[in-house]
Amino acid sequence: MNENRRTQMITFFFIWLVVGILLAVSLKAQVQIRTAELPSARFPDLARAYLQEKRSAQALEEEIRSLRARITELENALATGTKQAQVLNQSLQEAKMLAGLTDVEGPGIELILRDSTKKVDPGSIESALPDLFIIHDYDLLRVVNELRQAGAEAISINGQRIVATTGIRCVGPVIFVNDVKMASPFVIHAIGDPQTLESALRMPGGVLQDIIEADPKMVEIKQLASVRVPAYTGSTQFRFARPVASEGKSR
Amino acid sequence: MIAVGLLGLALGILITYLFVNVPIPSEWSAYLSLAALAGLDTAFGGWRAALEGRFHPDVFVSGFIVNALLASLLAYLGDRLGVDLFLAAVVTLGGRMFLNLSLIRRYYLNQISLKRQRG
Repeated sequence: MNENRRTQMITFFFIWLVVGILLAVSLKAQVQIRTAELPSARFPDLARAYLQEKRSAQALEEEIRSLRARITELENALATGTKQAQVLNQSLQEAKMLAGLTDVEGPGIELILRDSTKKVDPGSIESALPDLFIIHDYDLLRVVNELRQAGAEAISINGQRIVATTGIRCVGPVIFVNDVKMASPFVIHAIGDPQTLESALRMPGGVLQDIIEADPKMVEIKQLASVRVPAYTGSTQFRFARPVASEGKSR
Repeated sequence: MIAVGLLGLALGILITYLFVNVPIPSEWSAYLSLAALAGLDTAFGGWRAALEGRFHPDVFVSGFIVNALLASLLAYLGDRLGVDLFLAAVVTLGGRMFLNLSLIRRYYLNQISLKRQRG
């Protein structure tokens, strides 16, 4: 009887020991999740929240677009009064155009860059260089740079206006332009002299030569009488930079 | 019996916090928590059985292992099937724990009143 009781005690002890270990391990895991990872590990909830956020972000961008257009209207209305106001407003509109805050229109080109769909023979040299057959972030960067050099006055990639603060960066399988994800095909609109822009891009040894040599179907250039380039809809808040007070006045 | 159980529990938690450092992937942590809950349920059941004088170590140990595994497995299966069996396990285990705890509480209250009557 006494023997039996001892076995009971020992079993009891070890079971509670294991319960303690299990509890502590899961407690630790939960703490770890709460501090280091997402608040909820339930994937369907996160996916729904993500889609919702994305949709509301799109709606907000639409709002920014319409509000900025309204601001321009109001500025024009205000400027109808005095001569000074007109001059001021004119230089304001020019600055806004340069900053990419207004939709613009004019002659230009449409350049479409897409990943190659060419079937590559598995034994060939080409098959060892798969990165020749896709469009990279640096391709877009060089194209944008070349277009600017050729006198393009406004450029957009898949509807994203290229402005002074735009970044173009490869993130995994997609490319971020203005923090917006995009993938092939890339439709680039540029306003400028169509002939100059196209010949700048097609220059021998130029930015598109390697791509065209890999697969001519990856590049498509059209000269258009009228191209529309949308306004920049991202943030224009400066968090760090401040204008410097002019030298003469300071101190 | 209580003292032994609490000692085991305290020691288990202490050992884990001091010496065990296994990273648990977040997608498994829910199943682990469920296994811990099932273990806790069995441990309470064992306590109650001991008070009622029908404690069998073999039933206790096998129940502990099988319940913990079954609860986690069921929850996993539920996730695959898109049915929240996780909740079913939590409700069942929770209900049983409350039942066992109330029986344990009654047993000790009875003991106390018995002692008073004698004294």
